[in-house]
Amino acid sequence: MGGSGRPPTSLASCGRPDILKDTAMTANSTAEGRLLKFIPYMSVAAFFIGWQLIVSLGMVPKMLLAAPLDVLWLFIDKLTQAHPDGALLYVHVLVSLQEAVLGYLLALAIGIPLGLLMGWFHTVEGFARPIFEMIRPIPAVAWIPLTIFWFGIGLSGKVFIIWLSGIVPCVINSFVGVTLTNPTSIQMARTYGASKWRIFRTICIPSALPMVFGALQMALAACWTTLVAAELIAANTGLGFLITMGRRLTMPDMVVLGMILVGLTGFIIGVIIDAVEKKLLAGIRR
Amino acid sequence: MTSQTNAPASIPNRAPLSQRLAALVHSIIGSRYFLYTLSIAIFLSIWDLAAVNKVLGNFLPRPVEVLIQLWSLNAEPLASKTLFEHLWASIYRVLIGWAIGVIVAVPLGVFMGLNPYVKAVVKPVFDLLKPMPPISWISLSILWFGLGEESKVFIIAIGSFVPCILNSYNGIRLIDPALYDAARMLGASRRQEILEVGFFASAPAIFAGLQISLSIAWSCVLAAELVGSRSGMGFIIILGMNQSAPALIIAGMVVIAVTACLISVLMERLENIICPWKRELPQ
Repeated sequence: MGGSGRPPTSLASCGRPDILKDTAMTANSTAEGRLLKFIPYMSVAAFFIGWQLIVSLGMVPKMLLAAPLDVLWLFIDKLTQAHPDGALLYVHVLVSLQEAVLGYLLALAIGIPLGLLMGWFHTVEGFARPIFEMIRPIPAVAWIPLTIFWFGIGLSGKVFIIWLSGIVPCVINSFVGVTLTNPTSIQMARTYGASKWRIFRTICIPSALPMVFGALQMALAACWTTLVAAELIAANTGLGFLITMGRRLTMPDMVVLGMILVGLTGFIIGVIIDAVEKKLLAGIRR
Repeated sequence: MTSQTNAPASIPNRAPLSQRLAALVHSIIGSRYFLYTLSIAIFLSIWDLAAVNKVLGNFLPRPVEVLIQLWSLNAEPLASKTLFEHLWASIYRVLIGWAIGVIVAVPLGVFMGLNPYVKAVVKPVFDLLKPMPPISWISLSILWFGLGEESKVFIIAIGSFVPCILNSYNGIRLIDPALYDAARMLGASRRQEILEVGFFASAPAIFAGLQISLSIAWSCVLAAELVGSRSGMGFIIILGMNQSAPALIIAGMVVIAVTACLISVLMERLENIICPWKRELPQ
């Protein structure tokens, strides 16, 4: 099952990590090759120019959509001005990052060991799986009202929701990674008298690593989406809050600025994780 | 329990009774289903104990209260709708938004995979929009369409758009070139290549995209309904929040989880019917 960023749908049909990377467009020196290299830039330029024109020519009211230039000016303004949403831009970004990173790390710290143990020890699987399967189908968004009751709208509530959404891919991928261990290796280790724990430590965990690393990206995508949802509903700082404030004040430029920052930050974290993954896994995959 | 009947057979008949009993007990305790049952029982009793002792204040109802709440939701209408009407309101939005997303995204993804020019035009813009979570579009869609049905359908369409387009594109792009070569060697035209090889070889990946987008659509509709609506499952849980009725929230979450389960089971069944030749993509 291909597709990047695919949230796993079940323990059985979980996607392998995204290794279907886009191959760079082959740049041959023919006219066709040059044209194909050139078109993407034009396409992006056309997108922005079209967007700007639609707004400045008045085809769409300014109340509904902000032109890209307006968004840029607001971005520059917001770097130094707390008005009208009460915080500087970098504060919003830092608050969101703090919540997301805390929830994400907690999800990794609990989800990966749990998944690995579930894959190897039947007792752990027998206890953890039913509870996990009960919680898994509930979208993280649906936890928001209950979380507000339990933790309030502060940091801990958001971290809890983000943790819930991040832990699912971690557990599933580590679990599947261990169960996909080559049985021949396990049998050989057993023949040489390795203990169950030692087989787990020296064979199952290393062979599950590529799947575990695949979970890092999936969990990040899940965490980042959930963060926005959590902040849309209850927050007083953060990027999701910036978007909501933009709507309440009918400032579409603020909404678009918030969306762009959410996309950009998520993209940058994704690139960083990708680089770390490549470095740590050099030689294991393929 | 199958293990209960199977286990003693593996033990020699001559073993003393006490040993056989011990083996039987051991096989029951070691059995997966026994552990599953035990685990759920422990989970529910810890929940109940926590609720009775008010570990989380007044905001954790007992499991029994949730059941009673579920029953009464069914019997008496909430905001002039019964539970099933709210559920249907959510599902209806999901179906419309998802259908729109799929109808636009799948052909676009397929053409991106088939034609380098379409790819060169669409992919950069798509890559710009892709990293924004669908939920971050909620504010913009409320500005554009108001709090009515259209804004929810729009969010769901956006949410189902991304996985559909990615999977159709990758599904077409990652078809084993040997299949094309074989068809070409047998004298297939470009048209036949696409219709008789490309379509069938990419169907499993495209269908996987539909599955993913449907589950994303289900969480998008909840988010949209949490932000503002008068019906649907998201409305039920936000109503529970506004009325400080945690039992109502958890009852809503139970229905949401069951629906999500049913959706995924249904899609897996459908997949087996529609593309039984499904295989894993080359890793």
